[in-house]
Amino acid sequence: MNKDTLTNIDTSFEGYQQLINVYNQNKDSLFETIELSFQQWFDANLCAALGGILDKFLNGLNTIRFKNIPPKIQAIIQKNDFLSHFGYKRLVDTHNTTIKYLKLKPTDGRFFHRYVVEELLNRPELPDMSPALKKKITESIYEIFVNAQIHSETDFIYTCGQFFPNKHTIEFTITDTGIGFKNRVNKRFETNLSSVQAIKWAVNEGHSTKLGISGGIGLAILKEFITKNKGMIQIISDDGFYQLDAEGEQTRQFSGSFPGTVVNMQFLTNDTASYSLTSEVSLEDLF
Amino acid sequence: MEEIIISIFNVVGNSFCVEADDGQKVFDLIKKALQEGKKARLSFQNIEMLTSAFLNTAIGQLYRDFEEDKIKSSLTVKDMTPEDKALMKRVTTTAKLYYKDPERMENSIKEILGEA
Repeated sequence: MNKDTLTNIDTSFEGYQQLINVYNQNKDSLFETIELSFQQWFDANLCAALGGILDKFLNGLNTIRFKNIPPKIQAIIQKNDFLSHFGYKRLVDTHNTTIKYLKLKPTDGRFFHRYVVEELLNRPELPDMSPALKKKITESIYEIFVNAQIHSETDFIYTCGQFFPNKHTIEFTITDTGIGFKNRVNKRFETNLSSVQAIKWAVNEGHSTKLGISGGIGLAILKEFITKNKGMIQIISDDGFYQLDAEGEQTRQFSGSFPGTVVNMQFLTNDTASYSLTSEVSLEDLF
Repeated sequence: MEEIIISIFNVVGNSFCVEADDGQKVFDLIKKALQEGKKARLSFQNIEMLTSAFLNTAIGQLYRDFEEDKIKSSLTVKDMTPEDKALMKRVTTTAKLYYKDPERMENSIKEILGEA
């Protein structure tokens, strides 16, 4: 039996490093029992990243067992439906702060649409946000989801979120277990970029690996919005880490690799900035 | 010449135009119209959400198959919000650059490697 413990996992480089460690310790296991314990804290939105890792283990016909989940963590990751994928009963979220864990095929865009409406747009318990802010948040989530659909070559896309009323933030995480930024870029251009170089290249406007169709706008839009909203983006792909927040951009390298890509978005819900445009593009000038 | 009206809402079957595949349906219709020398008016009535991926496929690809002047003189747009117009403009600007300079992407990779 392989035993691992996740200790105080938050949405940070260190938190992702622990998840990567668990993946790397068990990635070659076959027909094993993998026992996972939790200590102190686990940011529920990271269920999207953990779900992708655990599915990799299940592909090796391993058995996943959870042990020692502190009640506070269990309550949240059971309410957000994560644990129901691993043999636990579903619970109703009475605190209304969870945004459900969802695992879906890249072709299941219609299910994702229903999920976004139910979990974000039609949630009366989410704080009062201007319609424009809500639209920008939804647009950002869609841009990243569609990127995973188009580029990742993944079997499944995993999404999960969490609303933190005291911090006035929504964290939303989208994970795929596909080929990652580095392999995608290097395959397309026959180059040898590192993961960090590939991510840095991809977040620039107009940069896209698509053949025959222009692109590279989605991540640029997200960057602009996050900068104005004073939120945060993190991209984890292979061993590359990229973060953009109020302090600017930073990149780091993990020890070991994540099997795919995680994009985490943190949105500030008490943002009072105006998102209406001051000047309008004339209809004659569109083409 | 009579204008053909293409209702994006009806073609996609949804007020959320987000997926690239849905953009392809719109592209196919516009392409057919332009090939036949028709003028088309794209109606964005009832559209609540657009992504760049949808517009890259629906509109961006046109710049691969048609001259800019032909697109400009054949297509018009109605019922689009200011935010969506800004996104559309970004998509058409990016597409023009992309198809005018195919080496641009390769050169940008060299720039990143130069930083290393």
